[in-house]
Amino acid sequence: MSFFLLIFLFRTVKRLGIPDERIILMLADDMACNSRNKYPAQVFNNENHRLNLYGDNVEVDYRGYEVTVENFLRVLTGRHENVVPRSKRLLSDEGSHILLYMTGHRGDEFLKFQDSDELQSHDLADAVKQMKEKRRFKELLIMVDTCQAATLFSQLHSPGVLAIGSSMKGENLYSHHLDSDVGVSVVDRFTFYTLAFFERVNMYDNASLINLFGSFNPNLLLSTAYYRTDLYQQELEKVCHL
Amino acid sequence: MARLLSIFVLLVFVLHVASESTGEVVEQINGEEFTEELLFRPLPDRKVLSHFHFESKVPPTNSYGHHHRLFPKAIYQLVHKYRIREMELSFTQGRWNYESWGGFDPVSSSNAKPPGVELWAVFDVSADQVDASWKNLTHTLSGLFCASINFLESSTTYSAPDWSFRPLSSNLRYGSLPREAVCTENLTPWLKLLPCRDKSGLSSLMDRPSIYRGFYHSQRLHLTSGEFDPMASDHGIVLEQTLTVVLQPDALETRGRKLQPNWSMSSLFGKTVDGKCALAKSSNVYVQLEGSLVHNMKDEGDEGLESNLNFEFSISPDRIMKEVNSFHREHSSILYGFSIKDHHSKPFDLGFKWNLPVTWSCVKAPLRVSRFLMGSGNERGAIALSLQSTEWSQSLPKVDHNEEKCRLKVDVFQVVPWYIKVYYHTAKVYVDGVPQSFGDAIEKLSVSPSEDKVSPGVMEMSLKLPCDLKSASLTLEFDKGFLHIDEYPPDANQGFDIPSAIISYPDFQTCMQYKQDNASIKSPMVSKMQEKRKILSYTEVLLVPLTTPDFSMPYNVITITCTVFALYFGSLMNALRRRVGEEERLLKEKDKKSGKLPSLFSKLSAKLRGKPWDPPSSSSSSKFISSKTAALVNILILNCLGVNVMNLIEKAASILGKKLERTKFVKMLFGTDFEN
Repeated sequence: MSFFLLIFLFRTVKRLGIPDERIILMLADDMACNSRNKYPAQVFNNENHRLNLYGDNVEVDYRGYEVTVENFLRVLTGRHENVVPRSKRLLSDEGSHILLYMTGHRGDEFLKFQDSDELQSHDLADAVKQMKEKRRFKELLIMVDTCQAATLFSQLHSPGVLAIGSSMKGENLYSHHLDSDVGVSVVDRFTFYTLAFFERVNMYDNASLINLFGSFNPNLLLSTAYYRTDLYQQELEKVCHL
Repeated sequence: MARLLSIFVLLVFVLHVASESTGEVVEQINGEEFTEELLFRPLPDRKVLSHFHFESKVPPTNSYGHHHRLFPKAIYQLVHKYRIREMELSFTQGRWNYESWGGFDPVSSSNAKPPGVELWAVFDVSADQVDASWKNLTHTLSGLFCASINFLESSTTYSAPDWSFRPLSSNLRYGSLPREAVCTENLTPWLKLLPCRDKSGLSSLMDRPSIYRGFYHSQRLHLTSGEFDPMASDHGIVLEQTLTVVLQPDALETRGRKLQPNWSMSSLFGKTVDGKCALAKSSNVYVQLEGSLVHNMKDEGDEGLESNLNFEFSISPDRIMKEVNSFHREHSSILYGFSIKDHHSKPFDLGFKWNLPVTWSCVKAPLRVSRFLMGSGNERGAIALSLQSTEWSQSLPKVDHNEEKCRLKVDVFQVVPWYIKVYYHTAKVYVDGVPQSFGDAIEKLSVSPSEDKVSPGVMEMSLKLPCDLKSASLTLEFDKGFLHIDEYPPDANQGFDIPSAIISYPDFQTCMQYKQDNASIKSPMVSKMQEKRKILSYTEVLLVPLTTPDFSMPYNVITITCTVFALYFGSLMNALRRRVGEEERLLKEKDKKSGKLPSLFSKLSAKLRGKPWDPPSSSSSSKFISSKTAALVNILILNCLGVNVMNLIEKAASILGKKLERTKFVKMLFGTDFEN
């Protein structure tokens, strides 16, 4: 399911005017063209199959076995081999605003990569700290859309970081609905409502993060959305989305 | 008035001529060329082959400079940075069906590719720098085409074939990734190299769901450059991009009538072409009918090429080309050409309709090749390559003109990863089930055995087989190696791939010569067909299950060892530290304070001593002593029994306590385990 979420967010971010060159997409699965997909090269957000999220112009930067904790941390910290092409690097500086969106399987203080590797909350905090020291971002918004998402932020301590998690410790994340035609759950509740919020805004809106937070309804999400704002100096009312 | 009109006409004429001549001049100065072509071919198994062919040409930098109007900058930079002489990259999904889609014609032998990614390149650098150039090239291509081509960087994945892949190839590197997924993200950057992208022209037909729904999908990029060759100074760089798709037309209309399914551009792709790409020099659509199909139709229909009772086009063809001088073929194929103009009054939607049922078969490669694994278990196995004759090879002459036995030459090129340790000395060749001596069957053999974690095993073999063979096979035994725990991919239990082997027939060349009625229209695709090229076919990818460790085993081992250690040290500590006698004493004291028997005992002793007894607490024990004698007897018995019983109880309790303690400890230990 994580695949759908990533693609869904990718499409939304692109729709809001961020060009492909500024998005690094890491996809471990090939679901769109997997032979088990009844609709090749198509991924839907909804069971009505009206919106093909995969689109015609998707570009994936890291895929398959390349999606590892090592590569993820390399992208964040910018420590690459010389030969790595520009499209696989996060070319940010001290003025950059970065959105880091992660989804997958996870538990208390870790996120699984490829079902074998684990990214721990300490690793993430260290990478973010290194980014801050190397002046790789001005503001960093981390969105984690998993079970027990909030636990991944527990070690963060760098200023300028905003963190949003879809669930608290001990909470599970539930899918929004099952697409019986494709045979999988297509979207989870947190992403569904986040993207429903983003579908309402356009490039010129002045919606702020506080509006986004306000749109989360625990009764609909079946989990408690969590946001950590203590590392962030600005008032949330003034923060326009992305 | 008439004079005025004639002047006006003259003026228009002059203007027309002027504009035409300036157009030519622009083209000459320009020198860059882009053409787009699309070939359709009905296949015998009711499918349709669609083959897009885009070609961009740029003149050499010496005469033309660095600035380009049409040619993609990324490719130009790539050629110059890594000094590439020739390169081919293909992304393929599905397997080419050599049986029913053909294996001998130029389209199939250059566009049937192994599944996944295949990359080969020839560099114009000194021999010691080739590997470095290759590594950098793989990384650049992986960034350019959104694929994990950078996995070909490791020396365990690529090889340097000497002669079997391409004749006289030095500085060539070859690598393939059989499991690489192919999807929209690979097509996007490929389309970005076209001047019109997919916005107009033939590429606008590429509806993603339609082309990925196909039975076979191969997207290829071929690059030749004469930039670094002083001999070919006028060559420049030629970029050839092809997309080959095998699609199943919707056969609803013709179902049950034994007719081949009708198709049209809109039914295959769901789209039509509005006009040609404005930057393209020419934009053509071809429909190719194979020789045997033309032959079979002729038997039933009429002789003329243009009017045929068997089928009809929705648009009448602009030109018809007949194959001349067809080599090895008794029947010649026909190519129908359609030009796409700048602007059509209505969208260009070529349709093909069958009127009479017809069956035919494609021209197959000399041999039918398949490769499979033999043996069982996780220790060893064997690779078998089976070559079976087709009707084509049966028609070969049995005896040469020199009265020598006719021989069919077959080149085999196979790369095997290092963890499949192939024993090349075990190679056995069987012809029609009879083992052959090595010198008889193998003409040439070069092998570079694999080196653990350094290089793959490469085998290049030239077999010479009798022409009248029914079947031949080649077997090689191997041992399965072990990988380091870090080297296993996340889904190691799926097995490991052995890339496709390449089979080629050096004695045969494929080419299709078409007699063009209009020589001025030069089509790069048709001229590609006219080039003589080697017949290649790829075998299946093999999936080898290797011994895969249980990745949760380290955790289990740690848990069980910890338990054993804890039990051992726990009981050792118990034995060493606990003093049972001391505990008994303490327990006794405790019981004395609270028990009934001790109080009775002390009362008795006080009475015996003749002292007044003061009870330690207000107890109802006085009721027991109704008569002194009865009490005395009672107490004596109780006393005798009591000591024994107390000892027994105490011992039992201490044993039980120890046991309880132990089970509690074990429970605690295992309990935490289970919680994990």
